[in-house]
Amino acid sequence: MFGDSRHVAPVLRQVLNALRIPLIWDAPEISADLVIFHNPAFLKFQNALDARILARSLVVVTHENFLRPGGDEGFDVSACLGQIDASTLALRKFIAPISPYNRSTVNNWLSGHRLARHWIVLEDDWFNICNTEIRTTRASPQDRRGRHSRPGFEKFPSPEELDDCFPEHALANVILGADALLDAEVIRPHWKMLPFDAVSVEEFFDMIDFFVYFTTPTWRESFGRVIAEALAAGKVVLTDTDTGQTFGDAVITCRPPDVDDIISDLIAHPRRYVEQVAKAKPILERYSAQSFRKKLTGFLATEIAEAQ
Amino acid sequence: MILLEAGLRNVRSFDAQLIFAEQLRARGFDACIGAEYFPEDAGRGRTYEAAKLLVDKEDLAPKTVFVLGAEEIGDPLLASLREKQLEADVPVIATGRFTDNQSYVGAKARLAYALGREAKVIDLTDTQPRSMMPTAICPLVAEVKPVARPTVEIPRLTIVLGSMELDNPETLPCLSRMSFQGEYSLKIVVNGLQNDEIKSSSFRDLPTVLYTDLSPLTLARETDILAVFGQGMAGERMAALAVELMAAGGVVIDGTEDEALLSSGAPALLGPKTPFSLDGYLTGKVLGNIAHISDQVSRSPWLRTIDITRLETAADLKPGNLRAARKTRTTLFVPTNGVGLGHAQRCTVIANEMPARTTPVFAAFPSCVPLVRRRGFDCIPLVARTDEKDTPNANDLLTYRRLSSALQPGDRLVFDGGFVFDSIYRVILERRLSAAWIRRGLWPGGRPSQGMLDREGVFDRVIVPSEAFQELNDAYSYGDHVRYVGPIVRQVVLSPEDRDHLRDRLAERFGNEFRQLVVSMLGGGVASDRTAQLQAISGNLAERPDCLHLIVTWPGSTIQPSFFGWRNTRVVQTFEATALCLAADLVISAAGYNSVHEILYHGIPAIFIPQSAPYLDDQERRATALSDRGLCATITDTELMKLERTLRDCLDGDELEHFRAALAEIELPETGTMAAARILAEDWKKR
Repeated sequence: MFGDSRHVAPVLRQVLNALRIPLIWDAPEISADLVIFHNPAFLKFQNALDARILARSLVVVTHENFLRPGGDEGFDVSACLGQIDASTLALRKFIAPISPYNRSTVNNWLSGHRLARHWIVLEDDWFNICNTEIRTTRASPQDRRGRHSRPGFEKFPSPEELDDCFPEHALANVILGADALLDAEVIRPHWKMLPFDAVSVEEFFDMIDFFVYFTTPTWRESFGRVIAEALAAGKVVLTDTDTGQTFGDAVITCRPPDVDDIISDLIAHPRRYVEQVAKAKPILERYSAQSFRKKLTGFLATEIAEAQ
Repeated sequence: MILLEAGLRNVRSFDAQLIFAEQLRARGFDACIGAEYFPEDAGRGRTYEAAKLLVDKEDLAPKTVFVLGAEEIGDPLLASLREKQLEADVPVIATGRFTDNQSYVGAKARLAYALGREAKVIDLTDTQPRSMMPTAICPLVAEVKPVARPTVEIPRLTIVLGSMELDNPETLPCLSRMSFQGEYSLKIVVNGLQNDEIKSSSFRDLPTVLYTDLSPLTLARETDILAVFGQGMAGERMAALAVELMAAGGVVIDGTEDEALLSSGAPALLGPKTPFSLDGYLTGKVLGNIAHISDQVSRSPWLRTIDITRLETAADLKPGNLRAARKTRTTLFVPTNGVGLGHAQRCTVIANEMPARTTPVFAAFPSCVPLVRRRGFDCIPLVARTDEKDTPNANDLLTYRRLSSALQPGDRLVFDGGFVFDSIYRVILERRLSAAWIRRGLWPGGRPSQGMLDREGVFDRVIVPSEAFQELNDAYSYGDHVRYVGPIVRQVVLSPEDRDHLRDRLAERFGNEFRQLVVSMLGGGVASDRTAQLQAISGNLAERPDCLHLIVTWPGSTIQPSFFGWRNTRVVQTFEATALCLAADLVISAAGYNSVHEILYHGIPAIFIPQSAPYLDDQERRATALSDRGLCATITDTELMKLERTLRDCLDGDELEHFRAALAEIELPETGTMAAARILAEDWKKR
C-alpha cells in the first residue's frame, strides 16, 4: 500500500486473469458506473490523489478505523476523504465500513465533521471475506496459548498484560510476530517468541489450543482477520470486547487478568471447549464469499434501480 | 524528575535534549536524560554537558516524560516507553514541528500505541509558525527576561561563522583586527574544521570556541552581541543561543545569506553578509545604540513565540525549585596537584590568612586531602587522573560534577594550577561564580602556550605569586585583573631551643647520635627520577658516622626499597618538612616554588637539584638565580661528581657558612600571603 513495492493479492490476480481484465496501475482517470475505492487511509502520506474519478456511485471501503478508542483520529481522515472528494465527480458517495466496530468509528467521526455530511454510510458492512472451513479441533485441549500478528506496537498490550495472557505455568506460550519484543531483548524463558513470518500460520496454529489476542488499548482491529483465521483453525479465541464485536459469541471477550481462569475452566471442561469452537461456524459463514456476493448483488440492484 | 526523551537517537536529538534539559534546570525543574541516549560520538563538550543530566535506567523515576522531536519517532523510543510501564499519573508530553495534520495524528497514535494511553502532543508550529530553524528538534524557547538588560562597558561580541569557509585570505586578518578592538571583546564560535584551520594559521591566537564547548545557555550569558554568518542557522545550538540572547534583550545581527533570523520574525538586526564590514557596522550602528536596540528587542511581540512559560503551561509543568540556595558565600580553593603538594600547600597558606568571616573550603586530589585537612580545612575529595585511554578526562568529569553540585551562583572559586581544566572553566561559567586563578610563573619555555592562557578570561582575578628575584618574574598577561603579590611562603618559627630539642628527638627516634643533619627532599620520583642522586647522597653520607641523613617525602609517596639499606639514612614521610629543614645543617632539595622560597625565607643552606618535566615550572632557572647570588649550590641531574664534591664542601668545608652569611644578608621582597588573602576576600566587580 505504501512505498514503491507493488503486490497484487493472489485471489485478485486469479480473478483478473480468469476474466482477462488488464490491471492498470495509477490510471489518470477512473470512469465507471460504480467505483469502489479501498482503504482511503493509503492517501495519508500524500497531498493529492493523482487521478480523476467519474462515476455514478463511489463506494469508499474503510479498512482502517477512523477513530481510535478514546476518540482520537486513527489517521487524518478529513485530508484523505478530502483528496477523494476533490478528485471525484459522482452522484453519490458512500462509505462502506467493514465491521460493527469500524462502523462505530466512522459514524462517530462523521458526527463531528459537518463538511463530510454528504458521505452516505451503507447499512451493510463490506466485511473481509473469510474461510468458512473449520479444522477439526482437539477433544481435550491443553494449556497451549499463542498469539499471532504483525509486529507493530499497536498490536501488543502492555508487558504486564502480556504476562497475564502468557504465564509461566502454561504448557506453551507462542508469540508469532514478536519482532519488537525480540528487538527490545525482552526476556521470558517461558515464551516462544518468533519473528513475523518465522513459521507458517498453519504451523503456528498447530502449536496452540487457545488464541489469546489483545492489542494496546489505544488501538483496535478494524475487522480482525487474524481472529477469523484462529476460529477457522478450530481454536478458542479470547479477546477484548471491542475486537470481539465482529465475531459475536464465537469469541470469548474478557480482560487479560481473566484469561487464566477462563482457560483453566475450559481445560477442566473439554466439552465446553468443543462447544465454544463450534460457535465459530455461523459467524464465519456470515463472512463467507457467498454472503458477500449476496450483499453486493443487493447493493448493485438498488444502484441499477436508482439509475433507471 | 522530568525525563527528556527524543523521537530518534542520534547526536542531533541528543543536542536538543541537552539544550532543553539545561533550560528546564535553570527554571528549577529536575530534568534528566536516560543514559541510553548518550551517543558514542558525543565528543568532549557534550560529554561534560551530559555528565550532570544522564541518569541510569534503573535510577529513573520520572514524574513527567517529555518527548522532543515527535515528528519522527523511531522504534527504540516506543520500546523504551513501553518498557518503562509508566504509571497512569505520569504525564507524557511530546513536542514536534509537524508539517501537516497527518504527521501530528501519526505521532500521537504511535506514542499512544506504546504507552497504552494518550500523550499530550504539542505542535510547535502553532506557536512558531516561522521558525528560524524549521527542522529544529529543540523547542527553541527561552526565559523571557522582564527587566532591562544592564549596560556593559565593553560589550562581548560573539561571531558564529556558520557554514562560511575560510578560504578568503582576508577573513582571518579581519577577525584578528577585530580581536584587538578595544570597544568590544571578541569570541568566535567555530566548527572543528574551522578551528583546525585557524589554529594551524598565524592567527592561532584568535579566541575561538567550538560549538559544543559551552551550552547555548552559558554562551548566551557570555554574549552581549551575536553576529551570525553562513547559510541558514548553524545548527540547533546556535539557534538556541540566538533565542536565549534575544529573550534576554541581547543584540543579534543576522548576517546569514538567507536572512534566517529575520525571516522568522525575530527582532534581529539585518547586518552585513560577511565579517569584513562587521566592525564598521558595529562601531557605526550598534555600539552606541545597544540600550535602544535592547529596549526594542525586549518589546518585540515575537518574544511571545519563544516564551518558555507558554510551553510549561501547555505541558502543565509546575515551576520547580531544585534546592534552596545557600545564604552564605562559599570560597572554594581548588589546587591541582597530581604529583606533589605545592599548589595545595600554597592555597592552605593563603586560606589560613583569610578573614574570619570567610570560611574557605577545599576540593583537592587524594594526595592533597590529608594535608588540607591537617591545616584545618574541610575538603571535597576529587578523583586523580588515571591512565584510562578511552576516557582520559573521566576524572575531570567527576570533578565537574562535584564542583557543580558544591557551588552555587555567587560563590567564589580559587584555582591554583597551570592548565585550566574543562571542569574549572565550565563550572565558573555555568554556576556564574566569581573566580580567581593563582598562577605562579616560570612556565617552561619562557611563556605559557596561548591555549593555556585562552581560559584566563573566565577569571575575575589572576593572582601571581612573585618569585623572590625580579628576573624570574615574567608577565604572561596584562590588565587590571592581574595582581602581583610577593612570594607566598609558609613561614614556620623554630626557636634555637626547639631546634635543639627536635634534633635530640631525631637522634633518639633513629638511635643515631649525630653532629650533622642532612635532609633530602627530591620528590617522589614521579616528575623526575632522583634514585641515582639519592643513592649517591646516601652512599656518601654513609661514610660519615656523625651524620644523620633524612630522605623526606610527602605521605603517600612511593619509596624505593633500596633507600632503607643505608646505615645512617632514614626515610621520613611528613607534612611538616619545613621544621625538619629548619633543624637541618644542609637541605638537598628540588627547586619547586614552595621549597625554594621556604628555604630562602628561612635562611637554610641548601643544594638544589632542579626537576624537569613538561608540566613543571622552570626549576633550573629558579635555582640558578639563587646560586648565582651565592645563596646555594645548584646541581643538575647529570652532575653526580659535582654533587659529591659539593656535599663534601658543605659538610667539611666552609660552604655552609658562606651560604648562611649570604642568606642573612640578602634583601628579600615582602611575602604576598596577606595580600593574596586580602584580594580573595574582596568584593569584585565582575569582569
